[in-house]
Amino acid sequence: MAGHDSGSILVFAQFQSAVDEGFWHRLSSLKLNKLGIDESPIPITGYYAPCSHPQVSNHLTLLAQSLPSESNEQSSAAAMSRGNRNRCPIRGTLYNTNTIESFHKLDKKSLLRVEAKKIWDDIHTGRAVEDSALLSRFLLISFADLKKWNFHYWFAFPVLVLDPPATLVDLMPASQYFSLEEAESVSAACNEWRNSSLTADVPFFLVSTDPNSHATVKHLKDWETCQSDGHKLLFGFYDPCHLPHNPGWPLRNYLALICVRWNLKSVRFLCYRESRGFADLGSSLVGEALITVPQGWRDHQSLPNAVGWEHNKGRQVPRSISLAKSMDPTRLAISAA
Amino acid sequence: MALTQRLHEAFKGTVERITAARTVSAFKEKGVLSVSEFIIAGDNLVSKCPTWSWESGEPSKRKSYLPSEKQFLITRNVPCLRRAASVEEEYEAAGGEVLLDNEDNDGWLATHGKPKDKSDEVENLPSMETLEITKHRAVKSIISEFGDQDDEDIPDMADYEEPDNLVEVDAATLPSTYIVAQEPDDDNILRTRTYDVSVTYDKYYQTPRVWLTGYDESRMLLEPELVLEDVSQDHARKTVTIEDHPHMSGKHASVHPCRHGAVMKKIIDVLMSRGVEPEVDKYLFLFLKFVASVIPTIEYDYTMDFDLGSSSN
Repeated sequence: MAGHDSGSILVFAQFQSAVDEGFWHRLSSLKLNKLGIDESPIPITGYYAPCSHPQVSNHLTLLAQSLPSESNEQSSAAAMSRGNRNRCPIRGTLYNTNTIESFHKLDKKSLLRVEAKKIWDDIHTGRAVEDSALLSRFLLISFADLKKWNFHYWFAFPVLVLDPPATLVDLMPASQYFSLEEAESVSAACNEWRNSSLTADVPFFLVSTDPNSHATVKHLKDWETCQSDGHKLLFGFYDPCHLPHNPGWPLRNYLALICVRWNLKSVRFLCYRESRGFADLGSSLVGEALITVPQGWRDHQSLPNAVGWEHNKGRQVPRSISLAKSMDPTRLAISAA
Repeated sequence: MALTQRLHEAFKGTVERITAARTVSAFKEKGVLSVSEFIIAGDNLVSKCPTWSWESGEPSKRKSYLPSEKQFLITRNVPCLRRAASVEEEYEAAGGEVLLDNEDNDGWLATHGKPKDKSDEVENLPSMETLEITKHRAVKSIISEFGDQDDEDIPDMADYEEPDNLVEVDAATLPSTYIVAQEPDDDNILRTRTYDVSVTYDKYYQTPRVWLTGYDESRMLLEPELVLEDVSQDHARKTVTIEDHPHMSGKHASVHPCRHGAVMKKIIDVLMSRGVEPEVDKYLFLFLKFVASVIPTIEYDYTMDFDLGSSSN
């Protein structure tokens, strides 16, 4: 079932975006009532959760609450949603332009680098070990045509590119990797992590299994103390992807962190996925990746290459949505008559 | 039809504003829920089925009789792998309608005695015939969608391609066409929609109310009219209508709650006649089972393995 020759390049399924209608409604009113023609970047919050159905991936979702409210400057969304297991908050930046021309003219490569640099800095300073959600960031560029209620937009999920790429030793369903006793204990430990409001939205973690098949889930900052106890250690993360032979996008910056902070050449990872809201080791994956530390990665000053603009039906182009039906007063009046 | 519906909505809105929310339990007598019972039942749903969560929704739409952080329940990204029309046959065979219309108690229990079998059958053994139907219907609906719309509504990707097309070369990115190739059937691109299913409290009818927001395979918002394809065809446009969501932006499809109390009362009577004392915290499990007969293809109806009583007898 491994389905991969050893030594093949580890290939990741890209994050996918989903925007709730309420996000565009709030952006429109924010633009009309507060932002005006101000084009400064706006900090926003996206939400994701582990894959919860074997046939569909989870998405990075934007809701009305992703935007700062009109009344006060600071977004309270992140603080409010803490502890909601279906909404792990991810930081993002919105660049909303005033014209379609300036939308097209945005320098996408350098915007992506700006966001990637934040990830790179958080890895080097160790902030990402303390607050692992910092490893996944996103970028949204948009043009809101409030005359026609059309919204043009494009997401990017920046990742630091390992060069040469990581290779795969093996990859298999977690239910095959663990013994029965271990699997039971790992499931219980992960469910406990997901059910506690303190850890439910912490998307990166360590799974430590002792010789008696007893598993515990720990914070990344406990990595050093895990080195001396001789337990089997896996790098776990909430995997939004449902595919049986590919890990999801968040593993990429995770590998970068592991490589920079802990200098590991061989990494055993757990793509944590759920079914009906509970740990599902049949769809979760355990794999081993080999990393060759790229040149210059020890140096905080040399930012590696980054990629991550979202694909739309196989191509890297922006998306657009028309909300005239729910926003155009003329149409609303006609449909209400 | 539309006018009477609107008049009724206006009337209902006025009544909701001037009457107090129900505080005395009439769960067993009328099949309805008080506000606090809705919270109890919602808390139980969230703890047993953790893909559901409470949300506060739009601050401007907040209802004062509900706690601000528990305005409504929602589960997101629920797959809907085929259109309702293509499961109509199995649905009829399973006796979905008996639930609403048949006075015979056995009819209801027969439907819900084996919902698992039904879904297994649907998922694992799609007959060639139903697959054909799915394909044709899905293709047709997409064409008609575009036919109905004004030109300005259709975003032409070619317009953006030139200024924006960006090529990132990276060996470790899975080409997105791959994802389609991984799908088991070639027509799956058209079939896999996802839904956000939400449950609100309807103060007028004193029952929960279900809302659907649909997305296509690339997670773009579906027109609410297309959502009706995923609703049992007997209910589309009759019990399922398209209205403003009480806590979110935009128009969403909803199962109209006018008969919810009566149906729930019937379900509770059946349970009690079997000697099962229904508990109010399980109301939403029963309710979602009933809603599953109206929306047969959306796979949110899970972890319902609680004791319904001796229905196997």
